[in-house]
Amino acid sequence: MSFFDILGIAFTNLWRRKLRAILTALGMAIGTVSIVVMVSIGVGLTASTEEMIASMGSLTKIEVMTAGYGGSGSGSEAKLDARALESFRAIEHVTAVTPVLQYGGQAKSGRYMGYLQFFGIDMLTAADFDIVPSEGELPQGANSNKPAVLLTSDVAANFYDPNNGNSAVDSEGEPLIDLMTAKIKFSFDWEAFSGVRQSEEPAGAIYDLKVSGVYDNSESWEYYSTAFTDLELLQELLKDNAAYTGYDPKSGEYDTVWLKVDEMDNVEPISAALREQGYNTYSPSDYISTFEEQSRTVQGVLGAIGAVAMVVAAIGIMNTMMMSIYERTREIGVIKVLGCKMRDILTMFIAESAFIGLIGGVVGLLLSYGLSFAINHFIGEATGFASVIPLWLAIGGAGFSALVATLSGLYPSIRAMKLSALAAIRSQ
Amino acid sequence: MDEQQAAAMIAKAQHRPIIDVQNVKKIYRVGEVKIRALDGISLTIDKGEFACIIGRSGSGKSTLLNMMAGLEAINSGQIIISGKHIERMTEAELIEFRQQQIGFVFQSFNLLPHYTAQENVALPLMFRGIGRAERSRRAREALRLVGLSTHRHHTPMQMSGGQQQRVGIARALVGNPAIVFADEPTGNLDSKTSNEIMELLLEIAQQRRTTFVMVTHDPNMAAYADKTINVLDGKATGISYKNAETTEV
Repeated sequence: MSFFDILGIAFTNLWRRKLRAILTALGMAIGTVSIVVMVSIGVGLTASTEEMIASMGSLTKIEVMTAGYGGSGSGSEAKLDARALESFRAIEHVTAVTPVLQYGGQAKSGRYMGYLQFFGIDMLTAADFDIVPSEGELPQGANSNKPAVLLTSDVAANFYDPNNGNSAVDSEGEPLIDLMTAKIKFSFDWEAFSGVRQSEEPAGAIYDLKVSGVYDNSESWEYYSTAFTDLELLQELLKDNAAYTGYDPKSGEYDTVWLKVDEMDNVEPISAALREQGYNTYSPSDYISTFEEQSRTVQGVLGAIGAVAMVVAAIGIMNTMMMSIYERTREIGVIKVLGCKMRDILTMFIAESAFIGLIGGVVGLLLSYGLSFAINHFIGEATGFASVIPLWLAIGGAGFSALVATLSGLYPSIRAMKLSALAAIRSQ
Repeated sequence: MDEQQAAAMIAKAQHRPIIDVQNVKKIYRVGEVKIRALDGISLTIDKGEFACIIGRSGSGKSTLLNMMAGLEAINSGQIIISGKHIERMTEAELIEFRQQQIGFVFQSFNLLPHYTAQENVALPLMFRGIGRAERSRRAREALRLVGLSTHRHHTPMQMSGGQQQRVGIARALVGNPAIVFADEPTGNLDSKTSNEIMELLLEIAQQRRTTFVMVTHDPNMAAYADKTINVLDGKATGISYKNAETTEV
């Protein structure tokens, strides 16, 4: 018997009991909706957390540190010197490398005091590490009298009035200081602006900063009150202020080196190789794997809650199929006498329940899209609660419904197949 | 082995009947009571014969027919149809065998109510895996044979009993089976229609050389058959031929 004919008979049989088929399919639709929407909320949760992790820093950036400096990892002390930098540049998939020097100091603008974290990097790689000015331009030149810096936008609001501790913002929360135009002074000496000296050292140099640009970091947690400047310039400044910074220009070593990798998938293998060499590494994507595991669990739990409705619907299908076979006992007997093969009878009934499942799955999917839209539109905007239905969930949801229906139809179909032809024609 | 014996064997082989029932027994258990539905019955039916098994209600005639069609298992004995031992077949083999060799006419027609006459007739061909166009062509032909060309697209509910049985006969014949079994084919029809149906069956049997085996309790219907086998209490009590003497068994 051709498969097409079997499907035809299965469909005709469903059509004969339209209302019952529709009601049963509706049960499957509700089951599908509950699974798809539950999982979609899990997926939405995952997506928003991923976004959050990305805001902690570029997902394709690796920070390499010496073992003593921090981060995770262990092994023999490996140096971050010029040779190490060369070897990093040679690693496949690494697109940019810069040594990084970090030193903090105090800033002053008018009556406001502030804090600045200096990041000395190779400015030629700034764009590779997404350090792109939203206003102005990257610092150029190495005038150590008036150091050029690129400030993060949060610097402005981090200024405060030392007399009352109030932030330098207006009643709307807008910063009072315009970083591009304000006069900003800076010193590595923490006592330079206080007027009170406890240290025996002479007062440290005070620099007038030349703000060449502002980097908007309002959407990111990666940097805090930061001044990006040219690495060599920073080295010079640190050398001049060695009394405060403890900087040793002769070592030729760095605490930290940043690597930029072409794709996120390459971050972990390269990090692992570096740890093997005795470095410590850190990258925001380290969190991703732990987090992905968690989000899979969350999605699984939500899916399992949704699956309860699916189980109820599956029992509904089984019931419908048993009823249908009971009603058609005589008919099954007749077709068996007329030479319909057992396998074909089995396929016929399984196809019938799979049909119900497929229709239920597709209808359920459409309802899920509607519900997902409603969640995002009415609840999501206020709470940040999102429902996302990716393609795999859409296809998986409808497919799962058909699969569950097929499995629930299995037992009734085997019953139908095994009916004694003679007993069946004698019935009624 | 002498020549006479050999000649007899060859003759026997050449005249091998299409249906050969040997010493078949069937016992039903109803609670503690055993009922001997068939008690060692033997009979043969030749190819192209129009045979009738006649007996009273409870004589075992329907049981015998069901067994020859492979619908019911036997307790002992053997049933050989077209040279094959059907009592040794599995259910799947029996279905395959029925599909290829057997047509079946029911007392209560047993047409599928949601299909038209033509679709009903085409069913056995669908089960064989024959394509739609070929099925329709052969179903139309079978319906023409039983004189129902005009009712091709009627559903069973729109037809009289006689018409429904004609559809049933067309369905039994559509696959060109070697044997057609008919279980009280006129049992649900009035006598005028019954005679028409019998005339039709006889005509087709003669035209197509199909072997017909019919079960009935009605001597008037049995009168149409070439060969009548009387069954009583699970045994064949006599065989009579049209235009011949009754032979006692």
